[in-house]
Amino acid sequence: MGADPSMYGKGLRPLSIATPVAFAITLSLVFFYAPIEADQGFLQKIFYLHVPLAITALCGFIVGGIFAVLHLRRDDPRYDAYSYVSIHISVIYACGALLTGSIWAKGSWGHWWVWNEPTLVSFLIVFLLYATYYPFRYAIEDRQRQARYASVFAITAGAFVPLNFLAVRMSESLVHPRVFATAEGGLPGSMLLTFLCSIASMALLWTTLVKFELSAKSAQGQLKRLRRALDAPTGPPTSRIAPEVH
Amino acid sequence: MVATLYGWIVAAPAIPNDVGGKYVAGAYIVFVLLLLIYVSIMAMKLARIERGLREVAEVAEQRKEDATAGETTPAEVKS
Amino acid sequence: MTPSRTAFAAILGKDLRAELRTLQSLPAMALFAVTSFVIFRFGLNRTSLSGSLAAGVLWATLLFAAVLGINRLFVAEREEGGFDAIRLAPIDRSVLFTAKVAALIIYLAALEVIAVPIFAVFFLNSAAALPPLIVVLLLADIGLASAGTLISSMAVNSRARDLLVPLVLLPLVVPLMIAATAATEPLMLLGGVSYHRFGTWLMVLGLYDLIFALLGYAVFDFLLED
Repeated sequence: MGADPSMYGKGLRPLSIATPVAFAITLSLVFFYAPIEADQGFLQKIFYLHVPLAITALCGFIVGGIFAVLHLRRDDPRYDAYSYVSIHISVIYACGALLTGSIWAKGSWGHWWVWNEPTLVSFLIVFLLYATYYPFRYAIEDRQRQARYASVFAITAGAFVPLNFLAVRMSESLVHPRVFATAEGGLPGSMLLTFLCSIASMALLWTTLVKFELSAKSAQGQLKRLRRALDAPTGPPTSRIAPEVH
Repeated sequence: MVATLYGWIVAAPAIPNDVGGKYVAGAYIVFVLLLLIYVSIMAMKLARIERGLREVAEVAEQRKEDATAGETTPAEVKS
Repeated sequence: MTPSRTAFAAILGKDLRAELRTLQSLPAMALFAVTSFVIFRFGLNRTSLSGSLAAGVLWATLLFAAVLGINRLFVAEREEGGFDAIRLAPIDRSVLFTAKVAALIIYLAALEVIAVPIFAVFFLNSAAALPPLIVVLLLADIGLASAGTLISSMAVNSRARDLLVPLVLLPLVVPLMIAATAATEPLMLLGGVSYHRFGTWLMVLGLYDLIFALLGYAVFDFLLED
């Protein structure tokens, strides 16, 4: 059951061209086309960065959960690698969402953190959960079992994400005004266009990075294979948790 | 045409130097930095893979040399 | 193939009998809860609690006490070959999940029967909050037991298992805690019992229970594979 060798690098070329093009368009739209918002002024431009990062991270976590389901059903170790990398990139995106959200909060509310902004708080909880993915994997020594349990974790966490958002959003007292009120009450057309372009760029970047990382892991795996075939000395020890890709 | 281009560049909004502008810049800088950190980590991985490939290529070439050397001079090996 | 009901009753009975005989988890959980109440009295420097503060102290304490019990849930199976026995037996493996969830619900209920009245005596002005609280406790127990059993079954096969359960379980039960405290807070207001959004929060609890119970039941087979 060998993997198709061209599988990881394939499509990376058009993706890595499309991504910067998409970003060029998006950034131009953000700074030269989208109008300055009435309430928050120039600060609102962070919206085009923070929210797409957040949305892409969430979708990425769910994609990681889907790959985990496929891993358990088809018992194909490749899906464990896809799940792991999807979660890895999404955790980085979630970090970015939290940092940009914090900067936005500081700019508009004066504090580096606000508890009455549901997106930010839900994100913190989701981030804390997925951060435990790594020590969790590390604690299980048997490789196969590690992959299986990690898939169960990814599925559970994936089911958790929408539930968490629901609960946090509902816990918001209607008295507090939301900090990032831009998302409420319909965006004007020009902002909507910019916003959609930004989401598309973030999603493209996410896919590019996932393929990139899978391709690097595959190269590492092929190198290991070569070493073994030639009885060459083994290289530096590889990670105990990252799934091997061949 | 040059005039309109020039006019367009002049009219383009610079980052306002007020509070809002600094935070927007900060946020976008954080994003760029995260991306660059990721790229540099992957670059280090790539360098390690390259080194490994070089080692393996040397081992393979060495084996090939030994094999052909063995073929052409079997008698000398015995003595 | 042994019918699941028989297997379920057998596993549940074994667990409860073992716990009654050795009394390992329950007294520890109850004692921990009551001591926590005392620590909160001094930590918050208050002798009576109401509203959100009361709900928070109660639920935080119940959660941490529950983690103590959850840590020990599968230890017997692990040490005495219970997992192998389940694998070999001609039963649907997910029965182990449902039996353990049921056992955990019973432990949690026993914990609450002791801890909640003591909480009321320590901190609350009236016991009017307690009857509606029973519903909230029941629904929360189901969710906590489902998530806890799932995580515990994975943690037991790892190193640092005592660390892993609180680490992974705590973020996972945050929505449960949000719903439970939000439902409890209006019950404990100084002005009297209020049912502000009570039904809504109960529904959220129910949703959580449904999702995690189904999830645990569905994936448990994969966890028991060799």
